[in-house]
Amino acid sequence: MNVFLLILHGLCAVALLGAISHQTVSAWWPARKAIGFAPSFRAVQGAKFTNAIVILFLITFILGAIIYPPYRLHGRTYLETMRMWTVNGSFELKEQFLALSLGMLPFYWHVWRQPLDEALAWARKMTAALIFFAVWFGFITGHVVNNVRGIF
Amino acid sequence: MFSARWTPIFSAAFAIAYVIAEQNNFALFTYHPRIDEWGFLTQPPRNGPGMYWYGWLGTSLVAASGVTLAAVPFVRTRDVPSVIGWAVPLIVMVLFVYLLRAFFFR
Repeated sequence: MNVFLLILHGLCAVALLGAISHQTVSAWWPARKAIGFAPSFRAVQGAKFTNAIVILFLITFILGAIIYPPYRLHGRTYLETMRMWTVNGSFELKEQFLALSLGMLPFYWHVWRQPLDEALAWARKMTAALIFFAVWFGFITGHVVNNVRGIF
Repeated sequence: MFSARWTPIFSAAFAIAYVIAEQNNFALFTYHPRIDEWGFLTQPPRNGPGMYWYGWLGTSLVAASGVTLAAVPFVRTRDVPSVIGWAVPLIVMVLFVYLLRAFFFR
């Protein structure tokens, strides 16, 4: 069951990564015309991703919270025994960054709700960038922790 | 739009409450994964490690909700600067990197 939930957690995280990456890039580096791969990636209407990002974040977060105890019992114990402090510390940072993103979620939803308020353009850029950073950091860290015995 | 007034306050209050809860281990509840039991408030580990992260989230949620509700009468008729909604979490993220630096310099 834990393996199934871990894979589901990873799949939801991938969908979340795609959505938040599109939104963040469209906010910081918008493109007027969708010609070619990179401009097409940037030329999305970021606000249309907002509800999906909120829902995917919550689902991924809850799934992560459910599979956290097996990590605490077995994964972290292994990291401590093997003195893998950088990996262990990265996971600690992951849980703090994502908890802070969770608290920011209502504000994020507010600044990205339509019709967009021009006065909140900077808040939109920053909230998307913070969640983008937290989700990417969490994904890479989770991936390394999950594969730690095979990698190191 | 009322969400313009409460959401930045909640976001900032949650971030501050979270770092205080984490640093002082103010957990609303404790989970003991080895025996699959929950306990109220911060409890010492039982038969294995205790998990406090869920409790820190609970503490932060309650504290941020309380601060936001308490602030409502004061912000009903005035604007709340939106910058606090993202700047405070950003500062707390950087603070956590500093607080957890020992993991990366062993």
